[in-house]
Order: sequence, then C-alpha cells, then structure tokens
Amino acid sequence: MKVAVYWGCKIPTAQYAYEMSLREVFPHFDIELVDFKGASCCGGPVRSINVSAAMYLSARNLALATQTSLEDLLVPCNECHFMLSEAKHRIANDEEMRRKIEEELKEEGLTYSGNVKIWHVIDLLHDFVGTDAIRAKVKKPLKGLRFAVHPGCQIIRPSEIGRVDSAENPNKLDALVEAVGAETLDYSEKLDCCGAALLYSHEDAALSLAGSKLKAVQGYGVDGFVDTCPYCHIMYDARQKDAATTVGGKLSLSVLYYTQLLGLALEIEQEKLGLHLNQSFKPEKFNL
Amino acid sequence: MSLIDLMTMAKPNKELHKKILDRLWRVNPDECFQCMRCTSGCTSLKLLELKPHEITLLVNSGFVDEIVSSDIIWACASCLKCKERCPQKASPYDTIIALRNLAVEREVKIPEVYMKAVAQILETGLSQQVQTVASRDMQPFNREKLGLPEMQYADDRFKAVFMKVLGG
Repeated sequence: MKVAVYWGCKIPTAQYAYEMSLREVFPHFDIELVDFKGASCCGGPVRSINVSAAMYLSARNLALATQTSLEDLLVPCNECHFMLSEAKHRIANDEEMRRKIEEELKEEGLTYSGNVKIWHVIDLLHDFVGTDAIRAKVKKPLKGLRFAVHPGCQIIRPSEIGRVDSAENPNKLDALVEAVGAETLDYSEKLDCCGAALLYSHEDAALSLAGSKLKAVQGYGVDGFVDTCPYCHIMYDARQKDAATTVGGKLSLSVLYYTQLLGLALEIEQEKLGLHLNQSFKPEKFNL
Repeated sequence: MSLIDLMTMAKPNKELHKKILDRLWRVNPDECFQCMRCTSGCTSLKLLELKPHEITLLVNSGFVDEIVSSDIIWACASCLKCKERCPQKASPYDTIIALRNLAVEREVKIPEVYMKAVAQILETGLSQQVQTVASRDMQPFNREKLGLPEMQYADDRFKAVFMKVLGG
C-alpha cells in the first residue's frame, strides 16, 4: 500500500528519530511512504489564536494530500492527527465552515474533497498491518523486556470525531509492544498527559506533569517507556532530566518511539532508527 | 485574586455570553449542570488550579470580560479529557479555546509562544525552524547528515492566503 505522509512541524524540524524510524520500518510491511510538497503547520498552535484559521491550515494539508491521488494519509504526530481529523469531521458536518474553507483554499488553487483516510502509526500498524504480521516479521524478539506505554491524549480523544483507540482504556499500543516479544503493564498513570502544551507558558507545571508520570513508571521497575508523539517524546526524553528536578528524584528511563522499538526487533541498525538521538536511551540495558 | 473575587466586583453581561456561544460548534456550555466531572479529571487542576466547571459557570453567568482577561484560560493542557467526559456535551475545552480567541482579538496579554508560532508559520509554513540537534554523545546532526530528504516548504502564495485568513 502507498500512503501519503503529513509530517507536521515538530517531526521534520527536530524529532528526526521518529521520521527516520518511520521511514525504516514501514517498507518492511509493504507500506510505501509518499512525501508531498508544500505542507504547512496543522494549526495546532494557531487554534488558541483563531480557531477558523487553524481549521483552514488543517484543511489545506488534507487538500494537498489528496493531490497525491492516494487515499490514505499517515499523520504520525498526535496533535496533527487531532487537528486534521477534527477539520475533516467539522467540514463534513458544517456546511458554513465547508464553504468558507473552500473559498480560502481556492485562492491557492486547492480543492478540498475530504476523500482521504487519516491514519496514525498506532492504527496503521495495529488495524491495517496487524499484530500477527508484525510478529511474523520480528527477527529479534525483545524477550524479557517490560515497557510502560504512553498513547498520549489527542490520539484517543475526543472519540466523537473517531480516534485510533479507546478514550478511557486504550490497549493497541500495548498489543504492538507485545507483538515484538516484550511485555507491557497496566498502570494507573497511563492516561496522564505529558504536559507539552504547557511547556512554553507554564514550564514548571509542564515538567512536573512529565516528571511525575516517569517517576511512577520508574517505580514499577520497567525497562523503558514507549510513546508515539513528538510532543510527548520531547517531554519524556529530551526534557527528562529537567522533569526529574521538579519531582525531586533521579529519573533514568529509556524512552523510545514505538517505531524505534519495532525497528530493533526487525534488526535494523540503531543509527538508522535515530536511537543515537534519544537522550534517555541506555542501550546497555537492552542487551542488543 | 480568585475567579470568585472577579465576579463579586463585576456586573454580568449576557451579550458577551452569547458571543462565546456563537463561536462554538455542537458544544453548548448552557447545558452544564456543574457535575464537575471535567474538573475532577483536569490535567491542570492540581498544579495550576484550573477548574473547567468554574470557567463554564462564569461564561454562563455572563462574566466573560473577567474570565477573558484572567491568565487561567492559558493553563489548559489540551488533554481533551473534559471534552470526552462531559455528559452534557458542554466541552469546557472548546469554551476555553473560544475565550482565548476572544482574548487575542481584544489584545489582552497572551503567551508569547503562540504569536511566535504564527510568525514562524508566515515565514516557512511550519511553526518551528529546522534545527540541528545533538546526539546523546553531543555530536551535531541535521537532516542531511541523517540522510533525510530535503524540506519542501510551502510557497509565498500560501503565506499571502494565510495572512488574509488570519486577519479575517
């Protein structure tokens, strides 16, 4: 299957490990990622300033994606996935908004059809590829390792617009981690937010949200922490040391994107998965 | 000063309440019966004392001026739990976003990060500039060095349209 990819802002400008690992793992499952030109921000940070301008940005990216004439679009960032899904839902159900956006897009020569299925890494792998197919491709099962998974917020809520997993009891990411031979755990902080949206306005609170979750998870004695969103990843990986200072403790938890974990199980070289860019990763603990 | 203090000093303005309702789609704060399910699960309750049910009550009571100029509307972490869990589809999240939009229109103080993102979008289409990052052992890496394809930015036509959309 060919899938257009909307990378958003955080991934192609800084969270390179996610982009690298995505580009590495999907071809193993006969999924070809197709880039397209001219994408802009999804509108996430614009929403607080002007909701309809944010909606225009999301719709614009959907319109660009349909120009590839592919029917499937991968959106690996949780926030972008929320913004694009919401725009699609709103435009489909709100005639006034649809007309307004069509007018705006026309100025750039774009047309909005809405004929694109929006995927995230979690459902593309879990629902389309399937855990059996993943299990069959695994060359080096990650036996004996136990991970806490963090699906994030905006990928599972609000369910009324169609999200990738249950809003209150998500378990697809667990199933994906188990498919590569590792274990996961059910833990009470699983739905806690990473705090990224507050990082630049309320830094202490944001870091403290990330820190308290990691502290709890570390207390459960896991070998690592798995996420699928560039924002969450910044909080738990790059900002882990700062987060530790807000919760009065030492944090030493390997944080990986799921696609990196999958890549390890497929025996893809660590450097190709961008694992050298993970600030918190401790390869010696992974017996690689 | 708490939100309640703000209320005791002000007169409610029901027209402004309507102004917030007009900005919402399939969300109606008027349906809120103060069950506080939003607040009990709010990510920003413990650290920043955000109480979504109070925001909804203030809006419904017409204290929009007071809440728009309060910093509390910028404390939401956008975790969407209140939107998901509200039994009345009153979604405090959407109300908070509508209040932020109104705060921007009125040029009340807003966190700089949002304006920076908009300025950056007007420059490259993206909310952040492409960065050189450091590996765990402090080596610098950029897209090229990591073997990632070149960026394909939006052109000037986009910028002109976005500017117009923002203004309108």
